[in-house]
Amino acid sequence: MPVHDLGYRNWEGMRTARILRPIFVARSGVSLVWRRRWLRTMLMLAWLPIIVPAFGIFAFEYSATEPEMRQVVVQVLSGPFQRPDLAQQAISDPAEVRHEVWTMLILTFFRYPQLSAMVLLVGLIAPMLVSYDLRSKAYLLYFSRPLSPTEYILGKAAVVWFFLGMIVTIPALLLYVLGILLSPNLSVIGETWDIPLRILGASVVLLVPTTAVATCYSSSTSESRYASFAWFATWILGFVAYQFLTFMNVRRPPRRRRGRPDWQELDIDFDRYRLLSPYHTLGKVESWVFGLDPTEGSVWPAICLLFIITVVGFWIVRRRIIARLSV
Amino acid sequence: MCLKASNLNTIVELSSVTKSYREVAALSGVSLRVEPGVTGLLGPNGSGKSTLIKSLLGLVRTQQGSGSVLGMEWPQRVREIRDQVGYLPEDDCYIAGLNGIESVAFMAHLAGLPATEGLRRAHEICDFCDIGEERYRPVESYSTGMRQKLKFAQALVHDPPFLILDEPTTGLDPDQREAMLRRIRTLYRTHGKSILLSTHILPDVRSVCDQVIMLVGGEVRIIDTLENLSRPAEPTVHIAIYGDSTPLAGRLREDGFSVTEDSDGSLRIAGIDTDQISELWQKAAETGACVRRLTPAMNSLDEIFFHAASETELR
Repeated sequence: MPVHDLGYRNWEGMRTARILRPIFVARSGVSLVWRRRWLRTMLMLAWLPIIVPAFGIFAFEYSATEPEMRQVVVQVLSGPFQRPDLAQQAISDPAEVRHEVWTMLILTFFRYPQLSAMVLLVGLIAPMLVSYDLRSKAYLLYFSRPLSPTEYILGKAAVVWFFLGMIVTIPALLLYVLGILLSPNLSVIGETWDIPLRILGASVVLLVPTTAVATCYSSSTSESRYASFAWFATWILGFVAYQFLTFMNVRRPPRRRRGRPDWQELDIDFDRYRLLSPYHTLGKVESWVFGLDPTEGSVWPAICLLFIITVVGFWIVRRRIIARLSV
Repeated sequence: MCLKASNLNTIVELSSVTKSYREVAALSGVSLRVEPGVTGLLGPNGSGKSTLIKSLLGLVRTQQGSGSVLGMEWPQRVREIRDQVGYLPEDDCYIAGLNGIESVAFMAHLAGLPATEGLRRAHEICDFCDIGEERYRPVESYSTGMRQKLKFAQALVHDPPFLILDEPTTGLDPDQREAMLRRIRTLYRTHGKSILLSTHILPDVRSVCDQVIMLVGGEVRIIDTLENLSRPAEPTVHIAIYGDSTPLAGRLREDGFSVTEDSDGSLRIAGIDTDQISELWQKAAETGACVRRLTPAMNSLDEIFFHAASETELR
């Protein structure tokens, strides 16, 4: 019982613009997800891989003055990255290859640890976003307010974007800022101004289609565990199918050597079955966005596929919600 | 925009609204007019009440029909209409994971109330709806009655001029039900809200409504004020008697009165003028009947409801 019961009072005030209402959907979703302790732990762990590219940028910038560090950089570029040409240039003129080295490090960060973290994070967050609302019939509450299905989907998708941005985009931008801070002078900004834009572009490539698929699964069932299962199955089956079909014709495995095997010797077509695997399709487009696509095939089939997945995914979510409202 | 329902002559006006789910007609050419006040929306299960409500809010698309809600063109401006309407759904619905106060504040924010103001208003409405300290508990743990109160608070938090309440007293114990009806009356009488109350509980309608709309088989069967509906077609009196009413009934029939006996033994005498009342008293005295109550008879809402529903079944 309140200390002083005011009873019912009319409210008169300025309402916020309707265009901002999806933000409230997103904010509520973020706050709900944030309450889970495992998620907070996972977010912290997802930041750990940043140490590797951060050390890489540090080593590269430090190598300009320290010959010992230069040797390390040359070995890394020739070995794991398989770029001896870049290693040679790094010795003669480090400033010339700065852009390429930074983008390579950031792409590696995007491509391997963060893509895997993204799969895990989305698989744990997104399935519950719409399916919980279907189960508890919360859509009746949402749509009793001036909110369209599209705005609702936007608000829900923004929850995923927020968390993915926290583990992918922000660390990548911080890596760039770290590079600037470690570089000899601010003229480096002029040489590398496009890297933040590429980071944002690659983030969009990563975030939008994956969110469309995840929310599509979430809207297809009121049991979020089925949506989670479908999500992980898509990635694992796609990955396994791609690996199997791509490498099944390689009769003789490459001889064990230090560093990565030389796939060019084996003449493997890495692009033929790429569209089967979301992991490899996203990787192709991300590499293209960073200007470092190592394979020969055109990127456009992958871009078209991601675009179609996005459109169809969100269309299905919308249809599912409208169908629920009609009964 | 801040609308006052009491300033409008008509809250809802619909013309020829038709909605079918494949071959099943949920609404067949529904035309109605809801005036300011509390309007009861009655009808048996499957009569189209929920479809009508969802259509008003633009949650389902009708195949045909036009009209206005709160002076705004319907269905063209449904989103603006939703801004001015508070809706309490019949279904058990909640946003999983939130506690009571967060749920109400969230609905305030969705309606456009700024963040701090939305939370303040949510607390105020929770007080009004008698959601005490339970407001800090997750909504999943709420009882049915608490959820009804929460939905009512969510419908009311943005201070809409027009409320659509779909079965608001379902699952409430008698005390809470009376409190809910009292709140509805307060909102109308003191704050000028107009309310469309969809319910199966006829005493609730009798208790708070001014106007009644009865939907049967997707058609409007009755639309009138409760006062007009309660008035019999011809003047009728209702006599309740201590003991056996049969001698008095027989005597009245002998004298040409049209008498029907109710299940509780009371009598209804139709077509009687006011100057014949003294004659009734005289007949009662002559037959030794002890009159407990003699009042002008009113049509029972139950009878009206069953009559309208059974008419359709006969068709």
